[in-house]
Amino acid sequence: MIDIYPVNDYGPLMPGLVMAAVAIVHVFLAQFAVGGGILLCYFQWLAMTGRSESARVFVHGYFKVLVLISFVLGALTGVGIWFTSIQVSAPTIGEMVFNFHWIWATEWTFFCLEVVAGYCFYRYHDQLSDRTCLTLLGLYAFAAWMSLFWINGILSWQLTPGDWLTTHAIADGFFNPGFWPSLLFRTIVCMTLAALIGCVVVNVIPVLSREQRQELIHKAAHLMMPMLAMPILGAWFLFSMPADSRGWVLGGSPAMMLFFMISVGASLAIGGYAVVGLWLQKLYINGATASLLLLLAFGATAGGEFVREGSRKPYTVRHVLFSNGIRPEEVAELRIRGCVTNNPYPVIHEKTLPNEMVTVGAKVFRRQCAVCHTMEGSNAVAHLTASWDADQMRMNIAKLQQTKPFMPPFAGTATELESLVQYILWVHDGRPKDWRSESEPDAIAQIEKWLDEAGTEPADVSSRTTVQQLPVATARQSVSSESEGSAE
Amino acid sequence: MDRMFPFGFESHLSFYLVVYVLTLVVHVFLMAYVLAGSLWLSWVTLFPGGDSIPRTKQPLARILRDWMPFALSGAITAGVAPLLFVQILYRQQFYSANLLLGWRWMVVIPVLVIAFYLLYVVKSKVVSRMSLLVRLGLSISVAACFLFVAFCWTANHLLSLDATVWPDAYGSGVAVKSRVAVTLRLLTWIFGTFPVMSILASWQLRGMRSRTTAWDSAISESDWLPFFNADHRRLGIVSIVGMILASLSAVGYWTTLAPSVRSVLIGNMGMPWMLIVVASVLFQIVGWLFQFRRPCICNRWLSAITTAATITLVGVASLREIIRLSQADLDQVISATKAASDVGGFELFLIFTVLNVGLIAWCVRLVSSRGQRFAAQTKKKE
Repeated sequence: MIDIYPVNDYGPLMPGLVMAAVAIVHVFLAQFAVGGGILLCYFQWLAMTGRSESARVFVHGYFKVLVLISFVLGALTGVGIWFTSIQVSAPTIGEMVFNFHWIWATEWTFFCLEVVAGYCFYRYHDQLSDRTCLTLLGLYAFAAWMSLFWINGILSWQLTPGDWLTTHAIADGFFNPGFWPSLLFRTIVCMTLAALIGCVVVNVIPVLSREQRQELIHKAAHLMMPMLAMPILGAWFLFSMPADSRGWVLGGSPAMMLFFMISVGASLAIGGYAVVGLWLQKLYINGATASLLLLLAFGATAGGEFVREGSRKPYTVRHVLFSNGIRPEEVAELRIRGCVTNNPYPVIHEKTLPNEMVTVGAKVFRRQCAVCHTMEGSNAVAHLTASWDADQMRMNIAKLQQTKPFMPPFAGTATELESLVQYILWVHDGRPKDWRSESEPDAIAQIEKWLDEAGTEPADVSSRTTVQQLPVATARQSVSSESEGSAE
Repeated sequence: MDRMFPFGFESHLSFYLVVYVLTLVVHVFLMAYVLAGSLWLSWVTLFPGGDSIPRTKQPLARILRDWMPFALSGAITAGVAPLLFVQILYRQQFYSANLLLGWRWMVVIPVLVIAFYLLYVVKSKVVSRMSLLVRLGLSISVAACFLFVAFCWTANHLLSLDATVWPDAYGSGVAVKSRVAVTLRLLTWIFGTFPVMSILASWQLRGMRSRTTAWDSAISESDWLPFFNADHRRLGIVSIVGMILASLSAVGYWTTLAPSVRSVLIGNMGMPWMLIVVASVLFQIVGWLFQFRRPCICNRWLSAITTAATITLVGVASLREIIRLSQADLDQVISATKAASDVGGFELFLIFTVLNVGLIAWCVRLVSSRGQRFAAQTKKKE
């Protein structure tokens, strides 16, 4: 049975944008928390071995920032991501939770350790020996990094599920092809972010002299040196991606390539400054410059996350779930039974719609398009289809996966598709009070033909000629025999 | 449904129910501390009393202010586990209720962020020197934030129970069908947080008796003693009153339940838990009354009350699930947990739970030994 959920309308904002905003902030803060633990261990070691006396002042100041920002905002935006994911695509988060709930529960035990170790240090560091402080910070850093370890497996599984698709073994899903490059890359990002925030913090601790600040900044820059490995790890990650996803990033999708370039450019700028300025020339950076570099790092994170999310298209979990929450194996069934047939949720403002056909079209839009599109706001369908005539619209939607390969196949009946077309045309025409209420039999027949030609499989641009398409006639047969079976 | 919860179901369903209930109880312990603590702080700010030291500076208020940020952090972290398992058990219900509440649900996160930062503000020394109006405003704001979150959870939970109202709720935008049910259930939980907070705070009061120099070195330990005893007594009263009011609200909530749900509650599945809850609540009341007759907090009685409170929470959480299961599509819940039980990873969870519980205990031990050393050093100085 297919789960049906209510879909919310966020006005001009598409749900994906809401998700992106929360996710980017959370990822940024969570990576700061992970890197912060490593940085603090390093500085505590510097202080207790006499390598840097001012490191002690820094550790205490930095941890306050970590607690106030990461413990509060980091933890709550983490919960916020769950809530937002439900709003955007309940089937996707449901699939992730279902397959990895014990991994998530394991991560939770590390959250608990992170909070306890962190607060023990925060509350009592001034009454503890150096060795005990290092132990607590070490435990905090270990727990924080392990939380990255666990969540990284789940997130990379979405794009590169690898052998899990055939074995369904949790180890295959977790240690998927993207796991290691992603984990190592993210670890370096965490260390870089922590170092940059360290540079900001150093500049706002009032008791430090200029020389002390310079010394601490150079020590913090040590954590940015692993950035030198980023190109190799980035390339490894890129080549672990499916060919079509890599294609979007490397030019197939202008938006995705743009964000990819922003991410690479910002990372290069930070890495260049760290290596040349801080490491080789021992330059000093003030609070403003450090903040600017941090802003660049935020841009790099945002770009990277956009690419990671976008490159999964047309899936949210590759080969398991399309971005609209419909499973690949459900498409054929929905082509026969319809995607809104059993949907109990009415269309909001239904009275403003002219007739039943347009109402059905609005329901189809809500079910299949609303996750990534609005009607007239951001990524608006009305805008994207503005230059199409009715027949072109019918064909382009019927062959959606061929029209745009990062789109999933249309998963509904020909009549539903026609209703969607009429709904879009009605919007194009300025939402008049009267609108045609019956579909033309010729148009429906033509849509059915196009749907059959397109098949139910998504496009595979990397091997377009070998795409296995399930003929709808076969699907019809199997669904009808299933219905007969259940009727009996 | 003819055996005591969680028995009588398929083993996989019972297993997930037990895990869910136990992790929920851990979360509720900390959540109760935060909610009741914030209400208590608002109360004492409004009514500081006529003692030589105002109630806002007496031990209980100091401890609550000091520990609430950590308790909130703990409550949020502890809340992740039940939030995870509720998605395994009741995916359709939980997601639908989330979606139907929409932004009214999402706003919980910024409200909690505000409350979190306000807790740090309330704790700061600067604020303690500010006018009563500012302090009162801050305290009430914190409490209002937590009450709002509690309301959202209650509305979400009640909405998730009844699938028949979802289409109407979606169409009309009115998510709360019965305001009476929401209010009574909310009151049950709010009043029920006070006994839990009282227990946790009592343990803290007990632990702080020998560490008062950290608050004010000008006041001797013996001078603090009457305030400790007064706060201890107040906690007992608050706990008893909380339990009585929570019980009355629960009875009121009972009347809003459908007859079919009530019959499950008084049937084989729910009745044992009803009796357990009643008995453990009575035990707590008796325990507090015994405590009143003693000059200071008695370790043994406090342990007994803590055990009884834990049993009460397990009982209440179980009754909550019985109510939910009696309204849910049981076949769907069974098939969901059956499928989930086939997914691997439980052994991994067990191993790391043991490891991390050990490491957490080690952290506490490291800090506790510091406490002994710190106390010894302080006494030496005196």
